[in-house]
Amino acid sequence: MTNIPTSKSLAKGGLITVVLLAFVFIFPRILISLLGEANPWTSYLYQYGFGLIFFLMGIYIIFKSGSCKLGRGHDSFWFGVLIGGFIFFASAHALWIVASLTIPYAGGQ
Amino acid sequence: MEMGFGIELSLTAKIIIGVVVVFYFILITGFGTYFSRYSRDINDFFFSGQRFAWWLAAASMVATGIGSYSYLKYSEQGFNTGMSSAMTYTNDWFIVPFFMFGWLPIIYFARVRSIPEYFERRFNRTARYIAVCIIMAYMFFYIGYNLFTIGVALQGMFGIPLLYSIPVVAFFLGAYVTFGGQTAVIFTDLFQGVMLYIAGGLAIFAGFAALGGFGEWWSFLPETHRLPFVHLTENPSFNTSGLFWGEALAGSIAFTFMNQGFIMRYLAIKSVHDGRKASLFNVLVTLPLSAVIVGAVGWLAKSLIVKQAAEGGALEGINAIHIEDTYHTFIVVAWETLHQNSWLFGFVIAALTAALMSTIDTLINACAAIGIYDIYKPLIKPDADDKHYLKAARWASVGATVIGVLLVIWFSQQRGSLMQIHYKGIMVIIPSIVTTIFLGAFWKRFTAPAACISMLVGSLLTVVTNWLPDMIDPLAWFVSGPDNDVYIYMRALFGMVTTGIVGIVVSFMTQPRKPEEIQGLTVDTLDEGMKIYKGGKPNHDVGKKVRRLPVVIDESLPDNIISISPAAMSSLKAEEGDIVYVADSRWYLGGLRSEHCKAATAHDRDDEAVLMSTETFHAAYLLEGKTVTLEKIF
Repeated sequence: MTNIPTSKSLAKGGLITVVLLAFVFIFPRILISLLGEANPWTSYLYQYGFGLIFFLMGIYIIFKSGSCKLGRGHDSFWFGVLIGGFIFFASAHALWIVASLTIPYAGGQ
Repeated sequence: MEMGFGIELSLTAKIIIGVVVVFYFILITGFGTYFSRYSRDINDFFFSGQRFAWWLAAASMVATGIGSYSYLKYSEQGFNTGMSSAMTYTNDWFIVPFFMFGWLPIIYFARVRSIPEYFERRFNRTARYIAVCIIMAYMFFYIGYNLFTIGVALQGMFGIPLLYSIPVVAFFLGAYVTFGGQTAVIFTDLFQGVMLYIAGGLAIFAGFAALGGFGEWWSFLPETHRLPFVHLTENPSFNTSGLFWGEALAGSIAFTFMNQGFIMRYLAIKSVHDGRKASLFNVLVTLPLSAVIVGAVGWLAKSLIVKQAAEGGALEGINAIHIEDTYHTFIVVAWETLHQNSWLFGFVIAALTAALMSTIDTLINACAAIGIYDIYKPLIKPDADDKHYLKAARWASVGATVIGVLLVIWFSQQRGSLMQIHYKGIMVIIPSIVTTIFLGAFWKRFTAPAACISMLVGSLLTVVTNWLPDMIDPLAWFVSGPDNDVYIYMRALFGMVTTGIVGIVVSFMTQPRKPEEIQGLTVDTLDEGMKIYKGGKPNHDVGKKVRRLPVVIDESLPDNIISISPAAMSSLKAEEGDIVYVADSRWYLGGLRSEHCKAATAHDRDDEAVLMSTETFHAAYLLEGKTVTLEKIF
C-alpha cells in the first residue's frame, strides 16, 4: 500500500480534479447559453477551450518532468514551436470562420 | 452496401484505366524491390537503422496517412457537411507537447522496437501480450478495411468480384513489403506520396476549372459548407464535441503514439531533433494538405451542384452532375470534371490504388515487426541469428497480408457507410490502450497490475456499450455532447475515462516497480534514458554540421568509432565519446548512406579527413571517392 500518495498530494490532486471537472461541466454550458449550439464560434471555442487545457497540461508536464529545459540544446526553439503552432491553428480556424461568414454567397436559397 | 458508381464506363475506358493501374502496380513493385538491397539485417528491415533525414520520413508519412478509403470517405463527408470534413486532420496540435517532449524521446532513447515491447519493459509480460492483442486488432482492422475499400472501388468500375480483385492486389503489395522491408516502404511511400498529391491536385484543378475558378467555387459554397467546424451536437455521426473527445484526443493519440507504422518511421530517423522536425511537418503541413487532397472533391461537388441549380442546368463544357449516392462523390465528380478522359481518370484511380498500397505496406511491415519482436523472438525462437529472423520477418509479412485478405470477408458482410464502419471499429479498439500508454509514459506511479486490469476492464466496458449505449448518456451529458444512442466518438471518451479511473484506483492499491527498473521509460526519467542510449553523459551544446570531408580508412580504429580533426570537433562542439552522425554529403540521399558513430580523440593529421575502419565504412553504405557530412547528435 506504499503507492498511496501523501495526504497533501491527494488533496492537491483532488482539488485539481474537481476544478477540471467543474470547468468541463460549466464551460460548454456557458458557451451554449451565450452563443447557442448552432453558432460556429461555439464549436470553435469548445475545441480550442478544451484543447487549450490539454495543451497546457502537456506544457506543464514536460517542464515539471524536466524533459524540456529552456536554454538546453534545442529545447527553447521547440518550446517556441509548440506555442507558435497552437496560435497558428487557432488563428487559421478563426480567420476561416470569419471568411465563411462575411464573403457573400451566390447560390441563393 | 450498394455497388456501382453511377458512371457508365465503355469497354475502351475500362481497358485504358485497367492498363494504367496495372502499369502503376508493376512500377511500384519494382521500385520497392530495388530498395530491398538496403535491408541487411533485421534492424534494417524494420527500422532502417535509425539513419534517415527528417524530410524523407516526413514525406513518406504523407502516403501512409492517406488510405484508399480516405478519398471516398472524406469526399462524401465534404459533400455532406462541407469543409468541416477537414476537422479530423487539423485537430492534432493539442497532443503535440506530449509527443515531442514525451513519447518520442522515450521510445527513441529506450530503443523500443514495438509498443508491446515498451509495455513489457514499463509494466510486465502480461501487459505486453494484452497490448499485442489490441494493437494487432487495430492494424488488422486497417489492413482489412483498406483492402475492402479498394475492392469495392474495383468492383464498381470493372465488375470484378472482391473475391478475385483483393487477393491479386494483396499479392503485389505483399511482394515488395515482404522482400523490401522498411527501406522499401519508406522510398515507395515517398514516391507514392508525390503521386497522391499530383493525382488529387489534378482532380481538384479539374473541379475548379469546371466551376470557373476559386472565386466561383467559394461564392457558390453554402455557408454551412464553408465552415471549418460542424454543429456542436446535431449530427449523430459527425459533431464537434464528439470529434474533439473521440478523434482529436483518442484518435490522434492512437495514430501518433500507438500506430506501429508511424512509430517505425520515427525510429528510422537519425535523431530525436529530426524526429521533432518530422512531427512538426506532419501536423503543420502534411495533415492539413491531406485534408484538402482527400476532401476537396466533395467541397467542389457541393458547389458544382449549387451552381448547376442556380443556372438551371449543366455547367459549360461538362455533363450535369448527379450524385445519387454520396458514397460515390469522388468517382462521379472526378470522372465528369475530367471530361470523361480515361487516361487522366485512370491516373487518378491509380492514385487511389497508391493510397491503398502506401497505407497497407506500412501496416504489413508493422504487423511483421510485432510478430517477430513480440511473439516469434521472445516466445518461439529466442536465440536465432539475424538471418533467421529476417527470413521469419518475411514470412510474417506474408501472414499479415493473408489475414488482411481474410478480414475482407467480415467487412463485406457489414452494413452502413464507410465512415460508420471505420469509426465504429476504431473507437472501440483504441481507448483502453491509448489511456494506458499515456498513464504509463506520464505517470510514474502507474503500476503493472493497474495497466493490465485497466486495459481489460476498459476494453470490456467499451465493447459492452455497443449493446448498452445508455451507459454513455451521463458522460455525453456532462461534456455537453450529443444526446443520442449512436455515440460513435463518445464511446472512445467513455473507454478512456473508465480505463483511467480503473488504472488510477488500482495503482493506489498496488506496488509500483522500482525506479531503477523503469529508467528512461517515463517522461521524468528521460535524462537517464539519454545517458543509457549514449553510454555516457549527454552533450547538449549545439554545434554546426561539418560538410564534405574526405574519408580515410584506418583499421586501427574499432568498429563504429571515427576520428576527426580538432577543427571539425570544435565546429561540431563534440567531445570524445559523443555520438556523431556520418552521412554521404549528397543531401538528396536523405541518409540512405549513413551511420551513427562515436567520436574518438581528434587525430593529428594535417588534413580534415574522417578516419574509420573498413567495417564502419561498409556499415554506413559509404562509397569510395564520396565525401561525408558530420553532425553531432549529443
